[in-house]
Order: sequence, then structure tokens, then C-alpha cells
Amino acid sequence: MAHRRGRAGIGALKKKGETSKFTKKAEEIKETSLQSALDTVKQLEIKLTKFAQTHHKAIAKDPAFRHKFLSMCAPLGVDPLTSKKSFWSFLQMGDFYHELAVKVAEVCYAYRSRNGGIMSIKEVQNILVRRGTKFRLNEVVTNYSEEDIVLAIEKLKQLGSGFRIVKVGGTRMVVSVPTELDNDHVQVIQLAQDVGGGITVDMVSDMIGWEDDRVKRALDLLLSEGMAWIDKYEGLEFYWFPSVWKDSFAL
Amino acid sequence: MPKQFEYPEIFSFAPFFTIQPVLATREKQMGLWRELILSYHTSLKIKTLRVHDCPLWKNKEIGRELNSEAINTIMEDFVESGHGEWEDQTKTRCRILWRKPEQLASDIYDWADTNGFINSVCTVYELHSGEDINGMSFEGADEELLRRALLILEKQGKCTMFKGETSEEDGIKFF
Repeated sequence: MAHRRGRAGIGALKKKGETSKFTKKAEEIKETSLQSALDTVKQLEIKLTKFAQTHHKAIAKDPAFRHKFLSMCAPLGVDPLTSKKSFWSFLQMGDFYHELAVKVAEVCYAYRSRNGGIMSIKEVQNILVRRGTKFRLNEVVTNYSEEDIVLAIEKLKQLGSGFRIVKVGGTRMVVSVPTELDNDHVQVIQLAQDVGGGITVDMVSDMIGWEDDRVKRALDLLLSEGMAWIDKYEGLEFYWFPSVWKDSFAL
Repeated sequence: MPKQFEYPEIFSFAPFFTIQPVLATREKQMGLWRELILSYHTSLKIKTLRVHDCPLWKNKEIGRELNSEAINTIMEDFVESGHGEWEDQTKTRCRILWRKPEQLASDIYDWADTNGFINSVCTVYELHSGEDINGMSFEGADEELLRRALLILEKQGKCTMFKGETSEEDGIKFF
């Protein structure tokens, strides 16, 4: 990237041999402002730590509070989830998300045979809440928010487990199988979501405008992966998606 | 007052009434049908499934029903799993075995072992309605099913049966 600053730039000065005076000053300024920036960050970190210590119970219990806190940490480059520094570990947030990641994985595996390895984050959340209230009678029930689950899935993703989030319209789905879902697949699932039930090849080609072959290719993959089930009714073939159906059912 | 049966969610899923072409999905589907048939008949205490008028084959609310081919597939799979047996040659009536006789047999023997009945005697009555059997899988069990289980144990040499004054007093000695 060439800078065209004419004759007053550093390049020009270098040519003139007067760089040393200016560069030294420039370095000084850089250093001072860097130092002051570091000081500010350090102050903020101290404040954040104090905050965390005072409010650690609320951070553990309340998802909204927890996320506000995490959003304060992010710009400072502080990551309580992965940080091993002792003053963050008392928060046990790493453990919190680690535990949640395991639970999310368990739910996904348990429902895989039913939905082919794709389900909405909302559904995962509902299941965790149901399980939580079923087994924990006296303990505090942890309220996991959708954002919590998203963060847990990020953790799973980092472990190279094949977990990832796919957006179908406005809904976030967690995919736990290595199946490659391209845009066509996502669009088809989204159509099923919009329609609120089973879809036929004709419906897809009418509403999205693809040729039959393209529609069949997408639907066949989803069927063979177990993400879609087929419904034969009055000579028609409808494709239904358990992941989408469950979501509407939950409403 | 007959107990109301709570249908599982899958019963409202239209494709549940079409036999799935994809193997893995079909296996899941068959498992769900087996569970449904078993839990329906067990919770309503219905001993026999009559194929031609079983209410599970259709769901009016979603306008779907199994065709006869699908019903056959599901019934064959159910009998194959050991939880059902045909009462007639024409396969119109199926006896529901809520717990397979082999499972009952091992449950009974385990209970006998744990409760010190080995080398001692108890009656058939005690087995299904006695005091010590609360929560056991054979509590309140159908006597015929119980006897089948005991027959299995006899064959395995784990018990011997002898007649009492009434059939309820028939005894079992465990080894």
C-alpha cells in the first residue's frame, strides 16, 4: 500500500536524513499512549475482577446478568471461559460452560436417531429445562439461556467435534453430524419451517423456483441423513422435518 | 375409572404412519411403534391386541392411518421382538407380553437370591401379591405369564414347582 503524502512524510524526512529526531519523538508518543492505554486496561480489569467477586452468585444464576458480564469482558480481551488465571477461575465459568457443553452433546446424541442430527437450540433448551426440573428437587436449577447454549456449542466446535450452528431463517439449529449442509438444504428446511408442516417437491419448486431435479437432490440427501421423514398421503409424498416440527410443536 | 392413555408426541407426527424407506429411520420408527403398542396395552391393562380394530393404527386428529401393509410390518416386528405372540393361526389376535417371560424369569430368580429364598419355598401367590415383592417387575403379574417364567427357571434347573391345595398355594422351591 503506497502512501502518497508528498514531501512532508517520513519517507521524505528519511530522504532528508532528519528522521532520528522525529522518529524518537514519535516513538516516545507511541510509548506514552501505549503505556496509558495499558494502565487504563489494567484499571478496568481490576474493576471487573471486583465486580465479578461481588456478583459471582448473580452471574451463576441469572443468564441475562451473565451475558452482560461476558460482554463487558470481551472488549478487554478477558475470557473467563478459557482463562486459567486464578482470579477468574473462582468464577468457575470455564466449568459452567464445560458442563453445559457435555449436556448439550448428550441431548443431541440422544435425539439424533429421531431428527438426523439437527435440532433447534430452543428445543435443546426446553429439554435441558425439563431434565433439570425432573431430577433436581432441592438444588438450584440452572437456567440456561439460548446464548449459554450457543457458547457451549462454540466450545464443542473448538474441540473439533463436528458440532456447529446453522441458521435456518431466524432459527438457530445445532448440527451434530458431519453432514455437509449447503445452502439448498438450508433453504428447503427453512421452507418447511415457513409452511409449518410437510412439503412436496412441487411445493418447493413452486415456492423457491428450482427445477425438480435440484429439489429432489436436496430432499433425498435430507431424507437419507434422517433429517427428513416421508409421509405418503393420497398419492402425494410429503417431507417432514422433525427438527422443525418439534419447534412449532413447542409453541 | 379407566386410566386415560397419554399418547407420545410421535403419534401426532404424520410420517409415523408411513413405513420409512431409509433403514436407520425405519429402525427408529419400529422402535417407537413397539414402545407405543407395549405402553398402551400395559397401561390400560389390555392383554390382547386385535389387529382389525386396534385404535393405535389411526390418528383422526392429523388425518393419518397405517395401511394394511404397514400394520403387518409393524406387527411382525412386534412379535419378532418377543413382546407379543399370536393367539391364532390367522394372526388376528396378539397376546401382549409386557415383560418377556425370559426377563421375568431372571427377575424372579434375582429377587429369590437377594431375599434368601434359595433352597427355600414360596407360593405362586406370594410371587405376584406377597409382601416382599413391592416394586418388582413381577408384582401383580398375570399368573399365566408368571408360570411361563417359572417354567423357564425349571428348565434351567433353578427351581422346581409342586402342587398345593389350591393353585394359589402351588409352591416353588428355588435352587
